[in-house]
Amino acid sequence: MSEPAVKLSGVWKVFGGRAQEAMSAIQSDGLSKAEALERYGCVVGVQDASFEVARGETFCIMGLSGSGKSTLVRHINRLIEPTTGRIDVLGRDLGALSPAALREVRARHIGMVFQHMALMPHRSVRDNVAYPLEVRGVPKSRRWAVSDHTLKLVNLEGFEDRLPDELSGGMQQRVGIARALASDPEVLLMDEPFSALDPLIRLQLQDQFKALVERLGKTTLFITHDLDEAIRIGHRIAIMKDGVIVQIGTAEEIVTNPADDYVREFVQGISRLKLVRAHTIMEPIESHPGPLNGGPRADESADLDHLIDLSVGSEEPVIITDGGAPVGIVTKATLLRGIQGGRA
Amino acid sequence: MTDIPLGAGTAPPAEAAPQVAAASEVEVDRRALDASIADFAGSNGAYYASTFHRIHEAAGGVPLTFNGAAALLGPIWAAARGVWSFFWGFLLLEIIAWVQIGRGAWGDLGADDLAQADRQADRANQFLADADAARAAGEDPARFETMADNLMRAAERSREAADAAAADALAILLTGLGLLLVLKLVQGLTANLVYERQYSAWRIAPERVPSGLRRTNVLLGIALTLAIAPLTIYKFTVESPLIEMTTFPADPDHYTLLARWLETQIDAAAAGGAGWFDTIVGALRSILNTLALALMGAPWPVVMTVICVVAWRSAGPRVAIFTAAAMAYIAFLGYWEIAMETVALVGAAVIICVIVGIPLGIWFGKSQRAYRFAEPVLDLMQTLPAFVYLIPIIAFFGTGNPPGILATIIFGMPPVIRLTALGMRGVPKSIKEAATAFGASRWKLLTDVEVPLALPSIMTGVNQTILMCLSMVVIISLIGGGGLGKVILEALQYAAKGPGLLGGVAILLCAMVIDRIVQGAFRRADHKK
Repeated sequence: MSEPAVKLSGVWKVFGGRAQEAMSAIQSDGLSKAEALERYGCVVGVQDASFEVARGETFCIMGLSGSGKSTLVRHINRLIEPTTGRIDVLGRDLGALSPAALREVRARHIGMVFQHMALMPHRSVRDNVAYPLEVRGVPKSRRWAVSDHTLKLVNLEGFEDRLPDELSGGMQQRVGIARALASDPEVLLMDEPFSALDPLIRLQLQDQFKALVERLGKTTLFITHDLDEAIRIGHRIAIMKDGVIVQIGTAEEIVTNPADDYVREFVQGISRLKLVRAHTIMEPIESHPGPLNGGPRADESADLDHLIDLSVGSEEPVIITDGGAPVGIVTKATLLRGIQGGRA
Repeated sequence: MTDIPLGAGTAPPAEAAPQVAAASEVEVDRRALDASIADFAGSNGAYYASTFHRIHEAAGGVPLTFNGAAALLGPIWAAARGVWSFFWGFLLLEIIAWVQIGRGAWGDLGADDLAQADRQADRANQFLADADAARAAGEDPARFETMADNLMRAAERSREAADAAAADALAILLTGLGLLLVLKLVQGLTANLVYERQYSAWRIAPERVPSGLRRTNVLLGIALTLAIAPLTIYKFTVESPLIEMTTFPADPDHYTLLARWLETQIDAAAAGGAGWFDTIVGALRSILNTLALALMGAPWPVVMTVICVVAWRSAGPRVAIFTAAAMAYIAFLGYWEIAMETVALVGAAVIICVIVGIPLGIWFGKSQRAYRFAEPVLDLMQTLPAFVYLIPIIAFFGTGNPPGILATIIFGMPPVIRLTALGMRGVPKSIKEAATAFGASRWKLLTDVEVPLALPSIMTGVNQTILMCLSMVVIISLIGGGGLGKVILEALQYAAKGPGLLGGVAILLCAMVIDRIVQGAFRRADHKK
């Protein structure tokens, strides 16, 4: 079971009437994007995307509007056909599926949540949530039971018979999440699910969603334009710019070691307190001139926030340990520099 | 404070920006603006730069500038500069002035009256001759003499009128000259203002707004002026212009040949497709007969009760009471049978419109290309006057109720097609995408998402179609359709005001009852949703 839940290899998406011609020109002659637009009138939406998402992982794709992140995620349930490249979901090559098999994969294995909820206004909340089951031909009694159960998961008991319009934006999006969970899919695709909500509701939903996904053990691809959100929710983050994946890594890797200026600019405003860990900023024990007089101790995975707490209570540097053995120290000066991010 | 930042848009942004503290300190960048105006005007750039400045500096009121070229050349200047509205406006006004001048200078102003005087004198001489003949025959010539006398006097008056008109020629000439002078003045004064507005428009869309002095424009302006002005002035100033100027030299043979050819074609088509046409007529008749049997075959108390209950259930008590009153009016005037025939006719047409129209609308809503092909046909169906297609319908399908239904369908079908297509296209893409993402097939997508969400629009289309069909009942009586339309047609033929009015009110009541019931039903469907 070590195979990844979702695997993209060399996925390109070129939009335009002459996409195939442009694609082969790009591959054989190394045509640039501007040239593709000029010569073929084609826009490159996604450029050579390759990554793997492990089972149970939450993988965030972060980018500004127009960076191709929504296009990219729509490849994973083939709402958009790739111009070239291969997409494997749960070990099956999506491109090789027949239309019926594709519908089956969509209904059973992949759930999707949309930025603008996209609930059916003429159906009750319950029937909206039950829709993936209805498509599969699950009998009504069964799908109503599943639907009610799923609505309970997102704390929407008592709203089953309402119409979506009667609910607030945050509640509607919880219905959207319930719908995505209804057929108990292995993979969740979240297309900027919380972007249209106001900040407080967004924070609340982020936490609820994170807890829920961890509990249910879903593989999640989460699209966002908000780096804070990506850091809160994602195990790993991919940063996209103009259709290209610029960097993939954990939040800490991206914040402490941005791949280029574009990413650096993004991470500048990010609070490092809960991200950066002791092993990133610690200095070798030898660098301390005097003996270590029993200063506070912390594990190397402790975050800066915790180190500050320890450091405030003592004049001595904090001793960083790995499995009990001291491996480095963090002085007040190192700590301040670490928070600043000027020196990793 | 008077400093208006005219050149703000053209000023290089980075340099000046930081030093300026307030809007009142912003300097007008003359150079950039001048360059832009010169670029726009082409030749004579410096002149237009200075006049546009004068216009731009004006804080209020109308800035006074005089464009000599525009005053002198008038429409030709406008054409050369590509100011076409100015060209057409002043070309027409100048032609009016020139017509006045022409009438005054060489027009034969009293000619009408003189000709009349001559005719009157001729008649008078005739009467005098008659009088002589009568005298020779020994009869009383007095009657002829008085008439000749009267005519002579009339001829004298006509001659006086002709002299007066000729005397007016000078006044007309002067009016024309005055008008021309005023026009030149106005053109000179407004040309720069108009041209400045064109410059503003050019800055927004330089590729669409004409700029500069183009030789093609000059030639086009001269050609248009030559094509329009001389002939117009000739036609209005010469007393009896050439016959070619007043009537188009049409050859009546073309018309006869084409009409005869069309007629044989239609006859051949009617004979060739007779089997088809009979099948269609048969199908229409069977639908009609079923409906008619239900409405006219069932005892009238039953039909009335059912209609009232339907009105009550779908639209509430008020509409039910109105329906009962309308039916009482129809029944008491003895229109019951005829009104039911009308309802059956309209009902048959509407049923076919809906059965054919909604699938077509769904198709057109999904396929932009199909809709582009269908749209002109739909336009034709709605705008072609009914009388035009009544004739071929008679040729193909004969007369009576079934061809009437067919004509009604042609007129009534477009709204339901159009509004269904509109509704289909209005379904939010995101909801369609969501349904697809959860594994819906195309058929499921259609039945679960697209049709339900397009339903309000489709319902509006159905209602429109019903009303359009009702409006055809009088017209189809022309080709033998029965029902209330026939009552109106007969009343029209005998100019019978009373029966016509009573029948008209009956049709109106039918339309109102159906409209209220249908709308009520749709509203209820909307609420349930």
